Amino acid sequence: MGPMEGPSPDVAALSLPGRIVVAVTVGAVAVGALLHLGMVFLYVAPSNTLSKEHGKAVNDYIFPEFEQNWKLFAPDPLQQNVHIEARAQVRKAGGGTQTTGWVDLTGMDIAAMRHDPLPSHTQQNELRRAWGYYTDTHDTQEQPTAGDGSDLSRTYLLRIIEDRFGPTLDGGPVIQVEARAATTPVKQPSWVAGAPTPVTQYRTLPWWGVDSGAEDTTSAAPGSTPSTAPGTTPSAAASGTGPTADPSGQETSS
Amino acid sequence: MSAPRSHAELPAGARVPATPTYASVTAALDRGITRGLTRVTGGIIGPYQSAVVRIGMSLTWLLYLVREFPHRGALYGPHSAWGFDLAQRLLASNHAFSVLMWSDSRAWFEIGYAFAILASASLLLGWRTRTSALMFMIGVLSLQNRSVFMGDGGDNVVHIIAIYLAFTRCGQVWSLDSRRARRRAAAEAGQAEAARGEAAPSTVEALSRAASGASSDAGARPEGGAADLTAGAGPEARPVRAAAVARAGADPVGIVLWAVLGVALIAATFADKLSTGWGLIFWACWIGQAVWWAVRRYAPGEPRTVLDIIANVVHNGAMLVIIVEVCLIYSTAGWYKIQGSRWQDGTALYYPLHLDDFTPWPALSHALAGNDVLVMLITYGTVIVQVAFPFTLFNRRVKNVLLVGMIIEHASIAVVLGLPFFSLAMIAADAVFLPTGFLLWAQQQITGRRRARLEPAAGVVPGQRADGPAAPAVGPPPPTAVT
Repeated sequence: MGPMEGPSPDVAALSLPGRIVVAVTVGAVAVGALLHLGMVFLYVAPSNTLSKEHGKAVNDYIFPEFEQNWKLFAPDPLQQNVHIEARAQVRKAGGGTQTTGWVDLTGMDIAAMRHDPLPSHTQQNELRRAWGYYTDTHDTQEQPTAGDGSDLSRTYLLRIIEDRFGPTLDGGPVIQVEARAATTPVKQPSWVAGAPTPVTQYRTLPWWGVDSGAEDTTSAAPGSTPSTAPGTTPSAAASGTGPTADPSGQETSS
Repeated sequence: MSAPRSHAELPAGARVPATPTYASVTAALDRGITRGLTRVTGGIIGPYQSAVVRIGMSLTWLLYLVREFPHRGALYGPHSAWGFDLAQRLLASNHAFSVLMWSDSRAWFEIGYAFAILASASLLLGWRTRTSALMFMIGVLSLQNRSVFMGDGGDNVVHIIAIYLAFTRCGQVWSLDSRRARRRAAAEAGQAEAARGEAAPSTVEALSRAASGASSDAGARPEGGAADLTAGAGPEARPVRAAAVARAGADPVGIVLWAVLGVALIAATFADKLSTGWGLIFWACWIGQAVWWAVRRYAPGEPRTVLDIIANVVHNGAMLVIIVEVCLIYSTAGWYKIQGSRWQDGTALYYPLHLDDFTPWPALSHALAGNDVLVMLITYGTVIVQVAFPFTLFNRRVKNVLLVGMIIEHASIAVVLGLPFFSLAMIAADAVFLPTGFLLWAQQQITGRRRARLEPAAGVVPGQRADGPAAPAVGPPPPTAVT
């Protein structure tokens, strides 16, 4: 199974126009490859003299298709578990409202991933990256810092929570939802002296009214409901009123 | 380069006669440049390595798409929390390419997902590799850019390498394309033999054999009407003189494929779905295919040689980019780690093993994390390998040792951290550094075993054997370098 073309072509045997075409190609490819690699290098390298000077040119070249991030577990691995929890305000039949307990949405993803050799991106990345997107585009006072990006990230997080809860919960329609991030530092290794006991800290977001856009999306495809299926699980868990409802439901969508 | 020249400028008496003179230095430089030029124009670098990367990346993406099939709607389709409207707003600002954004209908999404699966399978098999590589890239970009916040490092690797692969001739070996070319060559050889003799009927027989070979390749993917066209492949049915043997056949399957894609391209252009940049790229590819076909068929002399050289040069440039890109991945990962205090104190590995998102097997992870010495050794080993790897390319033996280490580490990450597709993508990228000798050995193990089982037509075997050892001349590491 050798390479399928025949004898290797010989440039020296070509006519002058042929050689010129080859020379131009070699030059263009060399310049193109080196330019590309230079741009990628400046993008992935720490901020430096050249990349500060030409930052815009580098970004214009890299985005969107050559974006890359290889700081895998670097400079330090994440040393805390972030769980996104949410609760909902539901309108009751009598006219009043009721607030559910906190539901550990991340915990439910984790339970679904347990002992699965092929975890789904929906469980491993969706909430984690949506939260990362939100924190990248909001300050700690929950004020937007990135214009439309902030609004996108907020809407995205809201819709994920809505999807998980479903349109109704505990027999009533969901009117608002509230999210919080529960951050628990990983317990220090046992061989590290003086390690403090980890304490969970909460960052609570404001109440958000349910997003009509998401309802439109749901009603647009009433035939199949794979993404709303998980919503049935939290609604069961939400009946519990404890601070962190037990993620007992293990089944995921489909 | 400048160093020898400055020596030559020293007074003649200051050096022993062995000192290279200016003339000999420039002559050596000329020879070097000529050698380099011959290398980049005369053939492709790493035919086996590019094939392994092709197979690895397409397999990774194919398995991923199959695994996520039940979740496809939630990831990239109508049920995604990252709704079509949100994706539209983001893509309006960053101009990423996604065919899925052309319509928000469910049918269009399903077609797009199925298309991505088919393109992956087709690239994996090396069927019409050039076209498949471009379709694969379109599939990868379309899905990933539709829901960019669903991806992780593995998706990032596939995304970038998919673009690079479109520039390579990655189907020269281990592909249906190469099998078809081999069969055609065998048929043409038989046909030339027959032409020298007297029997015209055997010529026709040889051609029909070649034609059936082509149509069986096409069978890898249903292609409407292809079989009929093949059966009617007339022009060569008349006796051909030896001089015309180099001319390529009409290739009806290729024409059909090209026409179908042409219709799609025209439709997309008129519907104003393509940005100027992408439009130019796709039109150039489409016209390039036609030129390639015409030149192979009607101008097998110098024009064909020139096109061949251009394809080689572009392939070699892309391979350089892939190689350096993988080095940059490891450099970045390693250099940033060096700055981290947890990587410095040897406990870094402990933490991911306690992150809920990355511990599908908690008992295993916690047992591993509980071994302080092992944690430190792996932590340090990871940094050492990542930082050192690019430099070991100058020493084949050390490079191969580290390569084995990295592949083992990624295989472990696949299981322990629950990142199978990320790991597979990284292994596929690492494979660009596998020695040709090893790849040939692997091929022999696989085909040898299969041959022993099937015992196919004897005539093909010696030709393959003869090709094998000759091929590494164009690949970087000669086979003697193995182990």
